[in-house]
Amino acid sequence: MKEKHIQISGVVLAALYSVFIAWLYWAEPKNLAEVSTKAQTTIENVTTKTQVAIGTYEIDKAKFNEGLDAFRNGNFIVARDSFERADPERRDAQTQFYIAYSFYRQGFGKISNDDALFRKGLEQTNLVVQADKNFKSDDADLQLKTPAELKNEFEEGLKVTASDFNPFKVLRERK
Amino acid sequence: MPEVESSKFKVQSSKSKFEERDTDDLSVVNGELLEISGDKKIETNQKLELSTASKQQRINDKGQTTNQQAAIRNYLLLPFIFLTVALLGGLRLGANNFLFLKPALVCLIFASVLLVLFFRADLIRLDGWFSEQFSTLKNIANVAVLFSLFAASTQVFNSLLPESGLPFWVVAFCFFWTLWNNLFAEFDTKKLLKSLGSLFGLAFVVKYLLLANLTAPANESWWQGIFQNPTQEAFTYLLDLPRFATATGYIQFFMLVSYLIGLYLLPPILLEEKRK
Repeated sequence: MKEKHIQISGVVLAALYSVFIAWLYWAEPKNLAEVSTKAQTTIENVTTKTQVAIGTYEIDKAKFNEGLDAFRNGNFIVARDSFERADPERRDAQTQFYIAYSFYRQGFGKISNDDALFRKGLEQTNLVVQADKNFKSDDADLQLKTPAELKNEFEEGLKVTASDFNPFKVLRERK
Repeated sequence: MPEVESSKFKVQSSKSKFEERDTDDLSVVNGELLEISGDKKIETNQKLELSTASKQQRINDKGQTTNQQAAIRNYLLLPFIFLTVALLGGLRLGANNFLFLKPALVCLIFASVLLVLFFRADLIRLDGWFSEQFSTLKNIANVAVLFSLFAASTQVFNSLLPESGLPFWVVAFCFFWTLWNNLFAEFDTKKLLKSLGSLFGLAFVVKYLLLANLTAPANESWWQGIFQNPTQEAFTYLLDLPRFATATGYIQFFMLVSYLIGLYLLPPILLEEKRK
């Protein structure tokens, strides 16, 4: 083995070992079993970031469909979880719009809305606008098609006005 | 001897003066004189050249082997030792879990001062490690070795400094005081290594023997501690001592010994430079 080869392998091995040590201190696994779990998560994250960097990022269609089924069945917590897994980088406007919509549908109340969920929904709507300014949903089941309409619904829901005390308010329908 | 001399005399008496000179010369020749042909002379010369060349080859091979061994030590063994030290330096064992403690900023500062000390005491000579005459690859490989040394030094301080509270500041001040004084002292390599060995040894004893014995056991509840080990519980509370498993001390001892071995193996200048 030539000196040059030893130097190259030395540099490469030292770099790999350093990365492993840095990862250990960053991930802080609590036991040996957690080492493999955290390694898997890190690899998935790195793969997604790489896909974003080289422009080949796509959402996980299977998880998106799971989320959509849960959303249509009114199981909004499961739906959000599936949507978040489908789009971990929060770059797909459609997925983000469904997450925002799930906050609206879950937080809607005939007498009063859930303010906490509406606030989260409002923040989520901003993510949709960031991902695609001109997004418009083609889902016939949704009455609010754009982030602007959804945003307006959230803002109106969070305001306390005289109309909130109108007894006929209980007759309004969820969109 | 007298027999030889008498025979010599007989020969001399029977020959002419011209022959006498030849017989004088012959007296030193013990064997038979043979005429050597031109081809044989060339053959002998070739054999001589071959033996010289093989000797030279053997010397070169030996030199190459030494070079290889030095390269393996410098570029594979040393980074491995130092990076293992860097890995273990922040590792603590809890009751049933690993804890990876990141080094405090002060550890990085101490490690930098320590590297300056290494250069001052000629434990590492900058011109022997980096040179325009070296190839880029060699300079990069040397940077990797020194980087691993820096990481290891940082983690040694991380290991030896108590994690929090008053002990952290007391030991950190002692380290700072010693390193600061050493910066202005005249050192040679041996003295520096001895000084570091004793400094680190003392810090190890303080943290992993003295303070560890003042700390209440990790698997004990607060109430249990108050009734069974009130003194330890009081010291743990007052000095803000973290509770680690006993195995932590063994791991850190191994780490410290490895670091000192690494320093001992570290060449001040690299082999090529030495030969020049």
